[in-house]
Amino acid sequence: MGQLFLNNVQKFYGDFEVLKSIRLEVKDGEFVVFVGPSGCGKSTLLRMIAGLDSVSTGDIVIDGVRVNDKPPVERGIAMVFQSYALYPHMTVFENIAFPLRVERLVEEKIREKVEGVARILQLDKRLQQKPGMLSGGQRQRVAIGRAIVREPKIFLFDEPLSNLDAALRADMRIELSKLHQDLKATMIYVTHDQVEAMTMADRIVVLNAGSIAQVGAPLELYHKPQNLFVAGFIGNPKMNFVPVTCEAAGPEGVTVLCQGQRAVIPVAPRDNLVGKTLTLGIRPEHTHLGHGDLLIDVVPSVIERLGVNTVAYASLPGGEAYCALLPGSAPVRVNETMKTGIRAADCHLFDADGLALERRIDWQKLELPEVTAGE
Amino acid sequence: MKEPAQLINRYKWYEILGIYCGIFVFLSFVLAPFVEGFLVSLKPLSQLFSSPYRFVPENGSFAAYRTMWESVPGFGRYIFNSFFISGIVTTVVLCMVVPAAYAFARFEFKGRGVLLAAFLAVNMFSGAVLLIPLFRLMRSFGVLNTYFAMIVPGVAFLIPSAIWLLRTYIMRIPKELDEAAYVDGASHFYTLRRVILPIAMPGITVVAITTFIGSYAQQFIFALTFNAKTEYMPLPVGLFAYFGRQEVIWNELMAASFVGIAPAMIVIFFLQRYLVSGLTAGAVKQ
Repeated sequence: MGQLFLNNVQKFYGDFEVLKSIRLEVKDGEFVVFVGPSGCGKSTLLRMIAGLDSVSTGDIVIDGVRVNDKPPVERGIAMVFQSYALYPHMTVFENIAFPLRVERLVEEKIREKVEGVARILQLDKRLQQKPGMLSGGQRQRVAIGRAIVREPKIFLFDEPLSNLDAALRADMRIELSKLHQDLKATMIYVTHDQVEAMTMADRIVVLNAGSIAQVGAPLELYHKPQNLFVAGFIGNPKMNFVPVTCEAAGPEGVTVLCQGQRAVIPVAPRDNLVGKTLTLGIRPEHTHLGHGDLLIDVVPSVIERLGVNTVAYASLPGGEAYCALLPGSAPVRVNETMKTGIRAADCHLFDADGLALERRIDWQKLELPEVTAGE
Repeated sequence: MKEPAQLINRYKWYEILGIYCGIFVFLSFVLAPFVEGFLVSLKPLSQLFSSPYRFVPENGSFAAYRTMWESVPGFGRYIFNSFFISGIVTTVVLCMVVPAAYAFARFEFKGRGVLLAAFLAVNMFSGAVLLIPLFRLMRSFGVLNTYFAMIVPGVAFLIPSAIWLLRTYIMRIPKELDEAAYVDGASHFYTLRRVILPIAMPGITVVAITTFIGSYAQQFIFALTFNAKTEYMPLPVGLFAYFGRQEVIWNELMAASFVGIAPAMIVIFFLQRYLVSGLTAGAVKQ
């Protein structure tokens, strides 16, 4: 079992509140990713779960036991560090065996366990080498091996892939996902890379300035972000935010005035919206050349051609950045006006406080992300 | 063909000439006394005061290296004493400094800064300033004229700089290693023994060498003040035995000096094998 419950956990450094009353439940066997910009407190939260940082107020509960004052081993957690933290003077075998030696296990048992772990991680041929002779990916695997060998209830990963190059990172991502399927253990993973978050997580916890901005499945965050922060954080390129005025709100949706056009956005209305300034959220991948419920004319200043896609960057009359993700062969040129169209159903709408008006879609029925829809 | 030197290492001929002239001037100041000392040890005593003075010995021989053992029979004992005192001082200092430096490098505790500053301040006093109080202290404890009297002040005066030296080295070892060991259930002592000690070995060796040399150098003043027994005399004081009532046996004195340094040189030569850098390679991604 590896169930984790954070009950209003808070952390202060002096008077500064790093984490603001975090409440979160992680189910047994779940792969949860903490994601957020630097300084949002995600690593601190992980270190608190690990027992490396103390908890100012609130409880950390693992399998029904409050563990605030217990050392890491008694919590049943293992941690993989961003910098690997391998012992340079020990062989790979001794590195992986370290937690078992601390437990004073008998030699044959250690040998058996370490060799088992080495087989899973394809390190069998490297057991007698020192970490200095290994490549980055192999070092990372040794660090993971040292964590699995103890068979903990909960694995904690602190940005484990951020030191690897892009190709290796993609491989390790797949390996980690497989490992999670094989071990069926609870894993908590901290990253600032939303691709890692989207690809590996069962659930993503988006943290912003010390509090949870939203918790949800990857596609839920993509399709139904609850606030401007999550909307801007998930998705690449970033969502465009266009200021609009609310003209009417009814059962069919909210009518907004945008760049002199009217559009009905199918979202759940709220009281007292009429006349207010709202923010319309448009994902760059939902813009199409020429057709749509809403047309926005812009002059791109920079165009990036990536082969499969073309990214056009422009700014709106009000100065807001506007980005369009178009097919690779899109006929757009720098300094030539392009007409982008957006379907009203693809749009997001946020009130003046940055909270989303709920979209009327069932994201779980969408089998494919909407990138390909409407093309 | 010889590879051309890297651009950053390329010098004009006059620059090279200047560099070597500089090296020559400074080295001659440092090494000339040694050379002259060695030459003196080769000369017969009568030639030392000849006029005009000649640096290169005529019919020089190693006779002084043989006779020195006869004119001062206790000389072997003096070398042993020096070695013994320095060895014990180094061992004691290391035993105390390694855990202390680890604690100063890793733990946050009240008074850490004050303590470190105090150690630095103590370092600024030379032992000589405190000789008289130390003497009185030793006398009231009744430990004058023992090895103890020469070892304890030696240890006390060498600990501060050793702590500073080793603390700096340990601080360079990534903290994640301690955290990883802690997460894996290791106690502080286990971490110190299995993780920190092996990695800090080059630093510990440097501390051992400087402590040993420091102890060798400061013996003179402590031995002269706190010890009057011939059999406990360390080498630097023992050399006075060559100062006879009538004359100083210069050539044997010089020979004895060289012989006396030899054991220390051998120890340092063996210790420096552990001065391998790059032991932390692969610990963390730099």
